[in-house]
Amino acid sequence: MVGVSGAPSILIVHPDRKTQRIVQRILGVTGYDIELADDLEQALRLLGQLTPVLVVVDADAVTSPRIAELFTAAAGRGAEACMTLLGGTQVDRVPKILGLGAVTNLLVHPMPVLAEELTITAQKLIRNDLFGAEKYLLWGTELSEIEITRASHRSEIVAALAAQVRARGQSARVASMAMLVADELISNAVHNAPIDAAGVHYRRELPRDQELELDGRHQVRMRWGCDARYLAIEVTDRFGSLARDQILEALAKENVRESGTGAGMGVALAYRSCDHLVFNLSPGKRTEIIALLDVRYPQTERVAASSYNVFVERS
Amino acid sequence: METRGRMTIQPHGDALLIGGAIDEAAALHEMITRATGGRLVLDLAAVTFINSLGVRDWIRMQAAAQQAGLAIELRRVAEPLVHQLNMIIATRGNAKVASFFAPYACDACGREESLLIDAVANGAALAALQPPAMRCPECGAQMAFNDFPERYFSFLHA
Repeated sequence: MVGVSGAPSILIVHPDRKTQRIVQRILGVTGYDIELADDLEQALRLLGQLTPVLVVVDADAVTSPRIAELFTAAAGRGAEACMTLLGGTQVDRVPKILGLGAVTNLLVHPMPVLAEELTITAQKLIRNDLFGAEKYLLWGTELSEIEITRASHRSEIVAALAAQVRARGQSARVASMAMLVADELISNAVHNAPIDAAGVHYRRELPRDQELELDGRHQVRMRWGCDARYLAIEVTDRFGSLARDQILEALAKENVRESGTGAGMGVALAYRSCDHLVFNLSPGKRTEIIALLDVRYPQTERVAASSYNVFVERS
Repeated sequence: METRGRMTIQPHGDALLIGGAIDEAAALHEMITRATGGRLVLDLAAVTFINSLGVRDWIRMQAAAQQAGLAIELRRVAEPLVHQLNMIIATRGNAKVASFFAPYACDACGREESLLIDAVANGAALAALQPPAMRCPECGAQMAFNDFPERYFSFLHA
């Protein structure tokens, strides 16, 4: 990933100089060269000389007709991911951005939360160290772990999660959201993730109330923890069958019901029920989904849209 | 180990009181046979959970009621169900919402509470995305609405 100066680079496309500087300072901690472009035209010119690991594009630029050209050029130069930053007043653009199907990382947050999430996102991409909810929680936060060994476990685990969240002083609303997200992600991992050599999802059509003993590879792991900023719920399957394009397609559906069967509806519901949904994909090996519920108070100071990240492990 | 509880249905005045979890084990469409006078009145205060499979069943129930010419009235709709009504337009069907729970928080003592809103009496204010004023049940201070009105009340404007 060599920049103009010969060092690895990150390209920021944003018309506002102040924002350019803020993002430059945040991403400067990565040690990568930060290249700045005021608009898409300048970015395209710069891309001729860069091989950036990451391209960060302003929400206005990302809805421009030329954005596809930039994404194609960036991918051609080896960029791992295209990220869009969205302020609190720009949430109405989320459906259009999702509809592009090319933005792998969308961060919707005002400062200073942006700094945390932007840094974590960039570091994960740069280090190719994707897995683990610890990255989103404060140092020292304990994560509880449970292995799901039969399908009917889901209902018990979800109820226990809600009770423990309440016992830690969180509201009924947070406990209810945690239940929903955990239920959807576990259900997805138990029934949609298993795939055979021919690519058939052989448990997808099984009734969800049918008991299934889950052997080694079919077992699902859930971990969760809370640092009083975020409640993180992490669910991992050992198949790694969820694909990047499938995720982006599911997130893009405006009406969740259109997301159809399979992973689509569960993923879409989880996305709309949390504040930040992270997909860590290791194709053929494992899929880890982390849902982050912002539990800071008061809720009304937050933004009415969710962030997401899709990371694919480099082999 | 504790489970999230199966869905229960009990008569409650002119309504059916629905409680527990609406999930893969729910059989909501069976309620259609319990409608009286062309009306199906559901009291949803005790619903604790509804997942995507429960949502599918809920949509089927709405469709069956519509086909049977039944009017559905939803009373005391619990927050988990409001969340789904907001996310999935098809869940709203032709149902009329009489009242629902909404999240409030007290700036004075930090208490968070789910409080009941009369959707009819507050219809005009809710249409203007103005949550009714509420007092904290613990300290009596004014509580603040604890969600985004444009998002939380969207199910009322289907």
